[in-house]
Amino acid sequence: MMPDNWGYVAAAYALALVMFGGYWRRLRTRERQLRTPPSRRRGR
Amino acid sequence: MATASRVLGWLAALGLAGGLAMGFGVAPRETTQGFVQRIMYLHVPTAWVAYLAFGVVFVASIVYLARRTDAADRVAHASAEVGVVFTGLTIAAGSIWGKPTWGTWWTWDARLTSVAVLFVMYLGYLLLRGMIEEPERGARYAAVLGIIAALDVPLVHFSVYWWRTLHQPPSVMKPGAPTMPPVILATLLVNVVAFTLLYLYFVTKRVELLRREQEARLA
Repeated sequence: MMPDNWGYVAAAYALALVMFGGYWRRLRTRERQLRTPPSRRRGR
Repeated sequence: MATASRVLGWLAALGLAGGLAMGFGVAPRETTQGFVQRIMYLHVPTAWVAYLAFGVVFVASIVYLARRTDAADRVAHASAEVGVVFTGLTIAAGSIWGKPTWGTWWTWDARLTSVAVLFVMYLGYLLLRGMIEEPERGARYAAVLGIIAALDVPLVHFSVYWWRTLHQPPSVMKPGAPTMPPVILATLLVNVVAFTLLYLYFVTKRVELLRREQEARLA
């Protein structure tokens, strides 16, 4: 039987959290940008 | 659309919480691999959802080329983008699982190589879309590439039968009954449903953003 290697499991699930969380944040940021009127976006 | 997206988001969050609870609380510790086998509840569903995502790109691209509807192009674009995220995670999680079980992070066997090719082709698809300024031409070229790249999906799936690989053959998506205990199979299926809901949530949201981006360009 193999040792438990829980660190690998934690790394895999943490990576999933980072990747999906990052993509979700990217979508939310783009959503907010599109909600802002173009004139205000240019002023930033 | 916004309500549907919100409902899908909450269903995905509930599904993922249920999948985690089953993966870590209900499914037993696997006899040979021990605790590390729980990476399967992440790796396999993300791989299946990646197949689904590129299957959607394939169909939506054909519809776009046949009817030139912007909606089909937006679905193809969104599904390819989300599919790349899922494929990237499939490769990374598989690599992390491979180190303690195979003794290596990566090997150029047929399954791993064909998935890497799939990933690179859809990265190329996204780059192509970004490079061509004229939207109609970009959509047309991307549709052709989206169809060609999706032909790699059956190659990925059957690679473990056609070539000698380090990667194991499928335990569920194969002829005959699944070769795993019912509780492990149930946990896997709950996670498949959860990740599919997450895919649908991301795609719905991305399609809506693409529609608004297009409107902003035309305004």
